[in-house]
Amino acid sequence: MERALVIQQLVKSYDKKTVLKGLDLEIPSGNIFGLIGPNGAGKSTLIGILTGLLDYDEGYIEINALEYKASNELAIKKDVASVLQPPLLFENFTSYEFVTYVCEMYGVDGNGLNDKINSLFNYFEIDEFTHVKAKQLSSGSRKKLAFCAAILTEPKLLFLDEPFESVDVISIGRMKSVLRKLKEKGTTIFITSHILEVVENLCDDIAILHKGKILAYLDSKTRRDLEKDSNLGEIFEQYVEVKSANEELLNWL
Amino acid sequence: MIEKLLYLNWKLFLAKLTKFQTILLIGYALFLLIMLVNLMGSALIVIFLDSTSSLQLDLAWLTPEIHKLILLTFATVFWILHFSFTSTRLLNMEENRKLLALGYPAGKLSRHLNLMCLYHPVNVIYNLTWLVFLSLQINSMWNIPIVVAAVLLNYGIIYSIKHRFLHMVEKRFKIIVFSFVFVIFGVISALAIISRQTQAILGEVAIQMSQLIDVLLLLPGGLLYQAATYSHTPILTGTLFFFLVVLTYMVFRDHYYKTKEGLMTPSSIRVRKEVSRLWIFLRRWLGYNAGKYYYYVMTHSYNRLQLFAIALIPLIYIPLLLAVDFGVISLILIATMIAAIPVALLGMGMANMFGYEHRELLLHLQFPVSFERQLKERFLGIITVPLFIFYGITIFELLRLPQLGSAFSIYIANTFFFMCFMIVFLWSSFYQYQKASYSSFSFKHPIIPQKVTFTMSTAIFILGYTVFVPLGEWHSYRLWVMTGLVIAITFYIMKNFDLLARAFKKRILLKLWSDF
Repeated sequence: MERALVIQQLVKSYDKKTVLKGLDLEIPSGNIFGLIGPNGAGKSTLIGILTGLLDYDEGYIEINALEYKASNELAIKKDVASVLQPPLLFENFTSYEFVTYVCEMYGVDGNGLNDKINSLFNYFEIDEFTHVKAKQLSSGSRKKLAFCAAILTEPKLLFLDEPFESVDVISIGRMKSVLRKLKEKGTTIFITSHILEVVENLCDDIAILHKGKILAYLDSKTRRDLEKDSNLGEIFEQYVEVKSANEELLNWL
Repeated sequence: MIEKLLYLNWKLFLAKLTKFQTILLIGYALFLLIMLVNLMGSALIVIFLDSTSSLQLDLAWLTPEIHKLILLTFATVFWILHFSFTSTRLLNMEENRKLLALGYPAGKLSRHLNLMCLYHPVNVIYNLTWLVFLSLQINSMWNIPIVVAAVLLNYGIIYSIKHRFLHMVEKRFKIIVFSFVFVIFGVISALAIISRQTQAILGEVAIQMSQLIDVLLLLPGGLLYQAATYSHTPILTGTLFFFLVVLTYMVFRDHYYKTKEGLMTPSSIRVRKEVSRLWIFLRRWLGYNAGKYYYYVMTHSYNRLQLFAIALIPLIYIPLLLAVDFGVISLILIATMIAAIPVALLGMGMANMFGYEHRELLLHLQFPVSFERQLKERFLGIITVPLFIFYGITIFELLRLPQLGSAFSIYIANTFFFMCFMIVFLWSSFYQYQKASYSSFSFKHPIIPQKVTFTMSTAIFILGYTVFVPLGEWHSYRLWVMTGLVIAITFYIMKNFDLLARAFKKRILLKLWSDF
């Protein structure tokens, strides 16, 4: 089985605080993978490292069969795109200028690019903002624009950090539909989200990250077995060992 | 409630103070104190100029009419100073807005913020000086309420004009710029003509002194002066006071509603469609990376004003300096001023190189294009535009200022000037990084920290004197030293070109990552 991502013993610290403590993870190619974890688990740090924005202290990373090191950096980046939270846009550019710039940087073939942009903008109903500067867009439209730009680069591996946050229900449905189509084409999708229902419905494999380590990797078979008796939320609580809240503390309410 | 608001603003203020800023603050406080003493002193001297016997003996020419002219001139100049330096909005609106979410009523917050603005030290100083200046000249007790109401109205109107003017500058930039050029050129031309024919013109002015007084009386300072000196009957006083109070109330009511509106809708952005020709042009000329970067620099609201200043100051002063005969000093000043144009442009683009794009740089880092290459392209783009100007001014100097020296020495001097600042700006962009912002509510320097601006201005003149002052037979030594330093700086930059990316990752990246 081909693997889109291999991480072994990944360690990352900020000053004296270790955020990732020897993290191991393997994701098969062409999979929609969901990473869930409580606040401060290290999800954003992991995304930051995998998208080349943060250095790591120790460990081994392999993306699309290429070891993550300086000499492979550009080759890896060529096939990777991401939508971070909050989305990164070029604020002084219009939506159209932004996506064409990103495509230029990724060396995307210009033939038919305008048609692709128009169809995507239409699909996500942001076509009215084609010539509106990014800084004037609402948070939902910003997320959709960043998503469109990432799709247009035709990545083999797509990182999505909280992709459905501040996006309306209809657009979430459309984004999911696009992600399924990308999966059919062989793209690997790595999603982090707090919305467990979305991860539950959309993802094939799911991992639970807690205190800098992967507590559980639930592939589709394991999930089917576990989800007979409980939903993802309950499974998550079992693994993370959520302390039951002391309701007496709020007696004054 | 207002005590808590004051406490919050004081805490906000203290929280942002660095050691350097604390020193600046002490300096600022001393400056305010000195200014208060000076302004009060000036006001008192002007008022008592004709009532002191010794002064009357010494100043026989001081007729009542001339004294009135001096008082009116002082009032007018003081009003201009008041208008120019008064701080209308120094409160952190974004932070204060958060109080709304904590249950602070919007109306009350707006009222309290306006009150706090009135108590800002600079506003207090100017308003107090007006009160002292005008109170000492009152004819009768009837003038007192008029003076108090007029000073308050004056403050309110200045506040309104400045607030609306800044908005207007943002919206109608081109018209404002051209109007300014027109007005300033007019004033400068008039001054140039007067300076050449002083006696004839002043003689004429002396004859027309009463007319001049009439004009000054109608200017804002003159109107305030009239509020204190005109003889009023009780009925007239009552009517005037009534209208002044109504006007003041309306102006402050407007402030109240505008502040409330600002608190409720902090950044109401009008969605509008546009296609930027500037971006298309810069992309073609400088490429995608440098083009984008320069597009950001050029479209920044504050930089458009900077560009205007950079173009205007030499346009006015260089022809004037060329026209007057100050010899060596003119020559040094012109050469420094001209050499400072590309340096100023360079500073605009380079002194805070990462502040314009800020978090957007994270996206650039993800592109499959080496980040080092992207930064190098930006760097070359930043120096390309000033270099074009640099060559232009060198040719100008060769044609118009041959006394500066040979083509070689002019070229080396300008290159040295340029390179010195380039290296300083390069360091500054890493050590003085801050998100470039612009707000009409803020008078803080939004792009380059004040200390950098101040240091640069001083350094430009110091370096100007070092580089351009004639040294006679020592000139050739200076030329060799400058040539050596230019070569050394060039080698340093070429050798450490990868420093751009390394220093970015070391100093800036983590700040961008953690700044949500």
